[in-house]
Amino acid sequence: MSKDFSVHVEHVTRVEGHGNIVLDVKNGKIEKLQWNVVEAPRFFEAMLRGQHYNELRPITSRICGICSIGHSLASLKATEDALDVKITKQTAILRRLAIHAENMQSHILHIGYLVAPDLLGVGSVFPLVGTHPDIVLKIVKLHRLANEMSDLICGRTIHPIRLIVGGFSLIPTEKQLLQLKKRLAEAQDLTKEIAAVIQSVADKLPTFARETEYIGLTSDSEYALYDGVIASTDTGKHPAYRDYKEIINEYIVPQSTAKYAKHARESYMVGALARFNLNSTQLHPIAQEVAHMFGLKPLTYNPFMNTIAQLVEFSHSIEDSLILIDLLLDQGIKSEKPVKPVLKAGRGVGIVEVPRGILLHDYTLNSKGYCTKANCIIPTNQNHANIQLDMEKLVPEILTKTPKEIELMLEMLVRAYDPCISCSTHYLDVIFI
Amino acid sequence: MKKKIGIIGLGNPLRHDDGIGLVLLQHLQTKKKNLPKNIEYIDGGTGGMKLLHLLAEFDAVLLIDAVDFKGKPSDARVFSLKDIQSQKKPMILSTHDSDFLNIIRLSKELKELPETLVIFGVQPQDVSHGVGLSKEMEIILGDLYLKVQKEIQNLINNQRR
Repeated sequence: MSKDFSVHVEHVTRVEGHGNIVLDVKNGKIEKLQWNVVEAPRFFEAMLRGQHYNELRPITSRICGICSIGHSLASLKATEDALDVKITKQTAILRRLAIHAENMQSHILHIGYLVAPDLLGVGSVFPLVGTHPDIVLKIVKLHRLANEMSDLICGRTIHPIRLIVGGFSLIPTEKQLLQLKKRLAEAQDLTKEIAAVIQSVADKLPTFARETEYIGLTSDSEYALYDGVIASTDTGKHPAYRDYKEIINEYIVPQSTAKYAKHARESYMVGALARFNLNSTQLHPIAQEVAHMFGLKPLTYNPFMNTIAQLVEFSHSIEDSLILIDLLLDQGIKSEKPVKPVLKAGRGVGIVEVPRGILLHDYTLNSKGYCTKANCIIPTNQNHANIQLDMEKLVPEILTKTPKEIELMLEMLVRAYDPCISCSTHYLDVIFI
Repeated sequence: MKKKIGIIGLGNPLRHDDGIGLVLLQHLQTKKKNLPKNIEYIDGGTGGMKLLHLLAEFDAVLLIDAVDFKGKPSDARVFSLKDIQSQKKPMILSTHDSDFLNIIRLSKELKELPETLVIFGVQPQDVSHGVGLSKEMEIILGDLYLKVQKEIQNLINNQRR
């Protein structure tokens, strides 16, 4: 291979949004290696200023077409925190079902449509229909189920309408929950079959590793998704959630329109692997089995294993949803009026785990309930610095490979993070000069 | 049992005429009373994988969409599945259709493709960013509405045979 080469990927495919990879090698030495985020900033926080608290959720839902449920829940939690609203037990269970539905929807899309083509050696999901129709059919079935679960709990697959301040505008019936329960139980078998297929090609996942910090929510009572306190694999728990800026230090870099973030080290990772590394002992049994199939143990420092952690979480979300549905059925699902807030000036912070990691909304409201200040911190922003540093460790290890192979590996690395670039204003391109 | 018919509007209303499918769908929804009850009207947004899931629900589907078939702006043309698949070069279906043929293929492979699939395509004048239809399209909207109703009636009649 020539000692001078460059890899320019503008824009990386099979990720959400636009990002470039730039790699220039001269005389066998890396002259430039950058993960560039080039998407235009979207100024959502500015749009929230001056809006009534009831409008904050519908507006912030639009930040992302994949994590619209997660944004809605972070938004509601922030609003309810500012207005001292205590939701009912039933609402808390239904919101957990909503977050599971989104986690399942997003994870299966990433595993099946975005990563599987790399592992099975094709360019996209469409050629897979010809070569592996059975797998595609199973993936489509699981994706459809997750979509329909979102529809049932939230009123729509994308941009939910039933999630409102203080509760739900409409809830599923007992009959609908029973039907969902039956389908989720069937889906568990399909998940195991997909796990077996992924396992058969898991040797295609690079064995790269780089020690880093992992940040996510943690909870004493459950594998934290809807609720918990911020925790780090380096520094432990940080219960003072309103002081999140002590953990998430955002900063600006010239090559990116999205902010980067760091905490105890130069970078950290959020998402399914971070959650697994923090909370794996709280996973339900089948999810544990799936982790065992792939030898996934905490702490795993290989970012490519994020996809496997997503598969593990997919199983967990099914198991946990079945438990939550039983809880609802046991106590009897009933129509409840949303808890009404008492207007007062104040600040509220809402934190949830969405498919790509920890998501925060922070609002300040005036005494009439209008937003005067807002801050949203998106998971992918928090991963950009980690992607950059992974690339800086990975490329010297693979410099003997061809530019084409290097390009594919860098793209696979970015895809492993399942970045949502438009959301962070996030993206990937590799440029080899 | 009556067959399930889906009328699916596609398009991006933030790109002027690209939203024609959704405008026509909204017109149809307001006149719903005069049409059979086994018909569902769906805003399919900008398609993609969502379309795959939608197609699986119906025996017959009429897709209403902006289609660049190199015709006169606001012209309407009806395409069958065969028409589209027989094209040497795939036509450009407005701004959101890059995977349209692949979605159809996937649906077929999964044995979920409706027995009948008809596309009511309207040639857009302006698909730049912005809300609202172009003047050319606004003027002809009444005609387009009558034409799409006729296609729906054809679809219903064919299902009865």
